[in-house]
Amino acid sequence: MDKNNLLLKINGATYEVRCEARKLLSDAIREDCGLTGTHVGCEHGVCGACTVLLDGRPARACLTYAAQADVMEITTIEAIAQGEQLSPLQQAMHECHGLQCGFCTPGIVMTFEAYLRECPDPTEAQVRDVLSGNLCRCTGYQNIVRAILLAAARIREGGSHVAA
Amino acid sequence: MSQPEFRYLNRAQGRTEDFRLLTGQGRYLDDIVIPGALHACFVRSPHAHARILSIDVAAAQAAPGVRAVVTGADLAQWTTSLRMAPPIEGVVPVEVETLPRDVVRFQGDPVACVIATDRYLAEDAAEQVLVDYEPLEPVTDMWRALEPGAAQVDPMVARNLVSHQQAVHGEPSQHMQDAYRIVEASFSQQRQTQLPIETRGCAAQWDAGRNHMTLHIGIQVPHALRSQLAVRLKLDESQVSVISPDVGGSFGQKIALYREELVVAALARQLKTPVRWREDRLENLMAAAHSREDFCRTRAAVDEHGVLQALELEMREDFGAYCFFPANYLARVVAMVLSGPYRLQHYAYDVKIVLTNKCGNAPMRAPMSITSWVMDGTLDAIARELQLDPVEVRRRNMLLPADLPYTTATGEVIEDVTPSETFEAVVAAVDYRDFRARQSAARANGRYLGLGFCTVVEPTTYGSRFYKAAGIIGSGHEAAWIRIEPSGVVNASVGLGPSGQGYETPMAAAVAEGLGVAPSRVRILLGHTDIAPYGMGSRGARSGTAGGGALYLCAQKAARKVLAIAAHWLDAADDDVRMIDAVIEQRKQGSDDWQASGLILADIARRAYLDPTALPDGYTPGLEFHLTYDPPAMTYSNASHACEVELDPGTGTLRIARYVIAEDCGTLLNPVVVEGQQHGAIAMGLSGALFEHVNYDESGQNLSGSLADYLIATSTELPKLEIIPMHTPNRRTAAGIKGMAEGGVMGALGSLTNAVNDALMPFGAVIDSHPITPMRVRELLRGIDTN
Amino acid sequence: MKPAAFDYHRPGSLADALSLLESFADDAKVIAGGQSLGPMMNMRLAQPQHLIDLNGLTELAGIRETADALVIGAMTRHHDVATSAIVRAACPLLADAVATVGHYAIRQRGTLGGSLVHADPAAQIPLAAVTLGATVEIAGARGTREAQAADFIESVMTTDLAAHEMVTAVRFPKSGVAQGHGFEIMTRRHGDFAIVACAVAIELDGDIIRALRIGLGGVSDKPVLLEQLAAQFCGEARHADLAQRIGAAAAAAIDPEDSAEISSTFRREVALVLTRRAVEQALGRAGH
Repeated sequence: MDKNNLLLKINGATYEVRCEARKLLSDAIREDCGLTGTHVGCEHGVCGACTVLLDGRPARACLTYAAQADVMEITTIEAIAQGEQLSPLQQAMHECHGLQCGFCTPGIVMTFEAYLRECPDPTEAQVRDVLSGNLCRCTGYQNIVRAILLAAARIREGGSHVAA
Repeated sequence: MSQPEFRYLNRAQGRTEDFRLLTGQGRYLDDIVIPGALHACFVRSPHAHARILSIDVAAAQAAPGVRAVVTGADLAQWTTSLRMAPPIEGVVPVEVETLPRDVVRFQGDPVACVIATDRYLAEDAAEQVLVDYEPLEPVTDMWRALEPGAAQVDPMVARNLVSHQQAVHGEPSQHMQDAYRIVEASFSQQRQTQLPIETRGCAAQWDAGRNHMTLHIGIQVPHALRSQLAVRLKLDESQVSVISPDVGGSFGQKIALYREELVVAALARQLKTPVRWREDRLENLMAAAHSREDFCRTRAAVDEHGVLQALELEMREDFGAYCFFPANYLARVVAMVLSGPYRLQHYAYDVKIVLTNKCGNAPMRAPMSITSWVMDGTLDAIARELQLDPVEVRRRNMLLPADLPYTTATGEVIEDVTPSETFEAVVAAVDYRDFRARQSAARANGRYLGLGFCTVVEPTTYGSRFYKAAGIIGSGHEAAWIRIEPSGVVNASVGLGPSGQGYETPMAAAVAEGLGVAPSRVRILLGHTDIAPYGMGSRGARSGTAGGGALYLCAQKAARKVLAIAAHWLDAADDDVRMIDAVIEQRKQGSDDWQASGLILADIARRAYLDPTALPDGYTPGLEFHLTYDPPAMTYSNASHACEVELDPGTGTLRIARYVIAEDCGTLLNPVVVEGQQHGAIAMGLSGALFEHVNYDESGQNLSGSLADYLIATSTELPKLEIIPMHTPNRRTAAGIKGMAEGGVMGALGSLTNAVNDALMPFGAVIDSHPITPMRVRELLRGIDTN
Repeated sequence: MKPAAFDYHRPGSLADALSLLESFADDAKVIAGGQSLGPMMNMRLAQPQHLIDLNGLTELAGIRETADALVIGAMTRHHDVATSAIVRAACPLLADAVATVGHYAIRQRGTLGGSLVHADPAAQIPLAAVTLGATVEIAGARGTREAQAADFIESVMTTDLAAHEMVTAVRFPKSGVAQGHGFEIMTRRHGDFAIVACAVAIELDGDIIRALRIGLGGVSDKPVLLEQLAAQFCGEARHADLAQRIGAAAAAAIDPEDSAEISSTFRREVALVLTRRAVEQALGRAGH
């Protein structure tokens, strides 16, 4: 039950966290850092709701210990919008009705903010392939896929953050 | 029938929820910070059926961070039991203790609760609670459960038969005797669970100074929960507030007061410290609520043309071990609406609801999900048996516009639905003749295509008269209030319980439409029992019709007072003023030339609140309105689904090649939201038909314990849906709204299964149970020559 | 589902890691990507007293090419293996297999070594390693050793690693220019654990099979290399129903067990179809 002091670098800021080694990064982000946009859906790596970026790469926060993460740059959903301005992907999700209850949404946004940087011109099949790692119970995925393809097209055309 | 001209309804509006949800600023249960809150963790039975001999909490109590460890004996002092005794013929009353003291009835049944400073420590301590069980023989099969000698799940329910309802309408036996042919078919749906991505949870705060309980909880029925919670805690109803925050999905699961939430609330009061609980996913799969697991057998009397003469339905549902919800609810609906879009006057049903040692059932999006699969599947069976075209058989039995209004065998009045129109629309959309040609050509090349249809008449909104007729305690009404503030903005509330459907925007549109303001000027308040009027919450697909209807009518009531004040102010006739987007317009009497009058809503509001003596005679100060709306006894919407599949007989795998649906759900509060609901419902239906399965073994162990075992469809398994909108309004409901949200599940189950069976025709095999796994398909095909 | 408490160690070098393993042995588990161990620990199915985090050992990540082999560090992420141009060129069967592991996000963290040591009988990397005749490089405080993948994997989730040892790299023979490969997998859903998987590597001499390697996953307690079958078909010429015959022979050569949901007959039937398809793929690519 020993607690350790950690400095977590999240969204460019540094958070002082004191917790047990076993504390999951998902819990540390939410409870110790007060960033509740990252959601917990299963704690066994299947649903993808807790997906954050570790050194720019998507990762399940529930499968990482906070103690492991102090050497990484962590990015969460709170970093994506710029004030009132949504990213092209967030904006497209809104326009295409790609979210309903919103619980799985941050995990999907984080996954694709990274993926679209790596693969700016994906096919629908590729989008569905990557999206298959995020479970959504509300939307049937169709509008999410449409939103991602729309965002990809806009980003390729030089699109950036827009006012919500 | 044409749609009335609306300014805001039937028009797409972006959702106001989206900004906060997309940026991680939603406020779900676990996002709410409650300083000093303790965390709960439940100790659960590993056995499906066992006597509790003793519970030793000493080691757990001494564990680090632990504040309390309680059992059923403690809870019995602080709470009352649940008595579920609906005055319905054929339903046996049951009583459920807060936590079991003597016997556990399913694997996962909670027997103790640990309260600690964090969940990690609570889980550590929970492992140290020593429970001595004496395992008992379980019953895990709804067939064996009714046989003599089967273990009894509930001491109050003899033979495990918690509900048995039968009815005979017309002369079905006579028609069976005289029939040209009797066709039998059966349909078996597996046990499933709602699986919202956000599990159950709650946070309870007891204000000892005010003697008041506040429970934060995601819930579809905030007021009903408040009423229940007060009774169980032996408090007055005014001593309890229920606040539902943003909810990460529910689908019927978060609709009852379960034992865990009651325990958490009771402990917050006892400990005088806030207590919170988050159910983890393993608990959610094992012990939240299950659903479906129903079986139907039909016997259809037909003439040589495949026209139905009579139908007998035998139905059985495995309800699990506990009734947190009336046990007969779903079956009652299935039996009642079975004939759906088809003509049938001679009908008998026998519905049995059975208890077993599994987690208890709650409704799951479309609790009557099996209905349309059964009906359309029966027609397909008739077509196979008589070697007729399945589309022709449907045409011969389908309700036509001239048949409406149609009173079904069970006395339901079907009107303002368009099943034959939606059916013909999908038949045309898939180019039926062309499909048969392609199917033939494909077979010649060793490929197996199939096309399945399913037409759904979805009961969406139940009015109070329905409940009365069914003998169910409860109302179908909904309540709304609207307050136009002195500055002219609008606050409004309705008694619904959202769980992600995005009510804020369509409800604002309903107010906007009825009142004459822009939706952006309307704020909708939901889910807080101190703020919202006492309503029946969200279930089925009532929110649009009952909730939107109540707000729309209340807004019209508000508009009448606003315009009366404006007319008086302008010295005009009531008919010669109107309000559009908060601008009061006036026309000269006798002309149709509307002009801005110089007054806006804010002016009217200020007069009403701050200068009431200037109001017309008979008008009281303020602009606050309340209204309750009781929709018709039943409102229906309808849709037809068509699904094309390709089957790989070598591996038993399926690919959905195309999915088309033509739908009619009347006036749309927001077409974008409606489309999203349709996608979600169909996705859940396809996922259920293909993948989901809560799988118990014979000893009552739940083998589908994690998301690696309980499978739901991902983006790669679901097709792109093509939706053909064919909306016609209902003439009896407010604004012509019909509602929708569950029919997609019903249509998906039917159209997919019928498509698979169409593909299997050359093999003479029929699938009659779900999930349709490759293993099951191979089992059917094994031994049949595929060449 | 919170894990039980443990002591956390993050060695900065391989030597430090091995020293920790030597000290703690059976009381320790190493964590690489955490995609398999994480869920087990959150469910308390694994409760090591000591967790040794290998993510600081950057020297163990990377793909190196020698004259006849690809040496892939144990800490190399699936995503890097699947998208590597070197792997694509020199060992395309491995690239194809790894691209199907889990999902995109899982592949960012999961590692080659982690998956191999996890030794799920249906998993892609153990199957590819056994089929291709990979060599596993192992280190302990007491020294290093090597093992053939087929010997290294002993049974379900069991390898011959001692408690004080860890895998440092896996060596895959490079595929020849005339080689064709095929990889087929059957899952319930995209990205799920395989029910059955088949990996095939074929070398043709004109139209004659010169070398044939067929591996099946999910049909036994570990990946099965069908050596006898392969020998049987060597020397045969490519012809219309060759793939079907190889598929049928593969199905006959295995002896899968019945499990609750999936019968042995079903696995055999699927093995036949997957093997046929993988062989067809491989034949199509061979000689080009």
